[in-house]
Amino acid sequence: MNRFAFYPGCVSKGSCPELYESVVQVMGLLDMEVEELTDVGCSGAGVLTSEVSDPINARTLAKAEQMGLALMTICSTCQGVIGAAALRLQDPEYRAFINKEYLAAEGLEYQGTTEVKHFLWVLVEDFGLDELKALVRRPLEGMGFSPFYGCYLRRPADVVGRRERRTYIEKITEVLGGTVVNISGKGKCCGFPSLTINEPNALAMTAKHTGEAKDNGADAMVTPCPLCHLELDGEQTQAAAAARRTIEMPILHLPQMVGLALGLDPKGLGLGRHFVSTAKIVAQLEPVEAAVTAT
Amino acid sequence: MELTFNVRRGDGRTKDATYQAYHVDVEPETSVFEALVKVREEQDGTLAFRGNCAVGFCGDCTMLVNGRQEVTCLTTVSKALKDDAIKIDPIPYAPTVKDVMYDAKRFIWDKVNSFSPGVVFNGAGWGGAQAVTDDDLRPVRRAMRCTMCGICDQGCTVIDVNLDFKGPAALTKVYRYVFDPRDGRAKERVVEAGETNGVWDCVHCWEASDHCPFDIDPTHRIMDLRDRSVRLGVKSGTGNRQAARHYNAFERSVENHGWLDERNVAIQSYGGLIKGGLKMMPTGLAALRRGKANLLPHPKRPGASAIKALFARYREVTRTER
Repeated sequence: MNRFAFYPGCVSKGSCPELYESVVQVMGLLDMEVEELTDVGCSGAGVLTSEVSDPINARTLAKAEQMGLALMTICSTCQGVIGAAALRLQDPEYRAFINKEYLAAEGLEYQGTTEVKHFLWVLVEDFGLDELKALVRRPLEGMGFSPFYGCYLRRPADVVGRRERRTYIEKITEVLGGTVVNISGKGKCCGFPSLTINEPNALAMTAKHTGEAKDNGADAMVTPCPLCHLELDGEQTQAAAAARRTIEMPILHLPQMVGLALGLDPKGLGLGRHFVSTAKIVAQLEPVEAAVTAT
Repeated sequence: MELTFNVRRGDGRTKDATYQAYHVDVEPETSVFEALVKVREEQDGTLAFRGNCAVGFCGDCTMLVNGRQEVTCLTTVSKALKDDAIKIDPIPYAPTVKDVMYDAKRFIWDKVNSFSPGVVFNGAGWGGAQAVTDDDLRPVRRAMRCTMCGICDQGCTVIDVNLDFKGPAALTKVYRYVFDPRDGRAKERVVEAGETNGVWDCVHCWEASDHCPFDIDPTHRIMDLRDRSVRLGVKSGTGNRQAARHYNAFERSVENHGWLDERNVAIQSYGGLIKGGLKMMPTGLAALRRGKANLLPHPKRPGASAIKALFARYREVTRTER
């Protein structure tokens, strides 16, 4: 059995509880064990200066290292920021500085061995696409999904690592029986980092991506990043108004799409919590013979 | 080798520009720029495009080559060739003057020139002061490799929706001065760079670094500028205090609770309890109805005291004030 130190991040424990609920259910169905880190800090999200977020993230990495487990994230931004810190901490001189100046006071020392993996990467690389396909109980046939990665699962190249990771959502969508509806901005910014700083910029980005998904005929967009979800779902109505058009594009969290194909109950996956209605998606789902219960 | 250029023709206002085909015979290692010069000299003197040094130093000859932005004097025709032809368009995000000639002033120089120019010498290395070392200058030299080709700006997610955003090329220029140990105006410069459409409007999407052909890594340079700004106690310009409010609320939230208080960060960013509360009211009520928010005080994480200690240590180590 695969085991991971689970870093849920702030948003899945805050305004996207449906992400936390759905990922825990899906990991249970996949028989993959997660041990949640409850006493670690916010990654800094690229907002805080790396001079303070690196020590916070080194502490998180050290705790996962003590458990002997890879760290699993469920947010593109957490993945990118902690992944970048982990990369910087590969430098022995810098690691020694952080250990001495910050972690030693708590009796911690980071050795530089923790692997940081997003749930998207875990699904493909640790569980496997063939294995996932074998578990599909409700193929998403006839449904079109536009992938939307979140910047940090696409760039920078040295933090993301394997280039093929840039197309994992498409592969998963196909394995689940869905159709990929590409959009040009799938690797671009959703707008969220600018929402509270330059709102018109943020809304223009949101309208552009969700509008393109609609124009290309997608039934929903799917994202592995809760910040993208907050923006594309939560701000979509305002973005559409600013762009003077109607969009109404449902936005699914990645584990919600996976959970639906594995036969999980849409309500239990939190599809009712979204700002943009997911009713049309739910209506398209084929019935599953017996309700699936996540372990 | 023989090849065909399909070049966009027309003035800047023409929406439905036409493409004119030029057939030219050049060596495979000839640059796209040199081949276009040959076309202009031998076939059509009215063809307009920009170009200057022809050795990859000035960045002036940047064009869209088969839809991809390239410094054309560094791109060989054999590399650019696609189905025996090369399609040439003007770069986006700048007005086109004629054919593929772009308005370089609007595209890049107005933005670069909006920041204070030149090193203002602070005396480093003179009069018995400690010498500036090669290590001190290495990051500055890296930024100085920038030719202002603007390819990073083409990838920029913010310029894509707002042409007035200063962009990674101009902000890399600011970095070049702020991180120069001989310069004495770092604080004034980060205030300038922190105004609306400046460094705090960057969404750190890393597209600029992905696009830069000279490995300058402009997104990192912007993030370094932000880090240096915070170290200098500057978290916005004078005209966009919202960026500073956002930083401070985010920092206070993580420092005091260990994790993010999304509700309070949004309210504080938008101007505090009354102004921010009113602004967030519709979203907040909708979130409450959907079980995405509650009215309880934001709880502390179990490790909150350890995180708070890290912040205290960070201020000691970096001598950064709140």
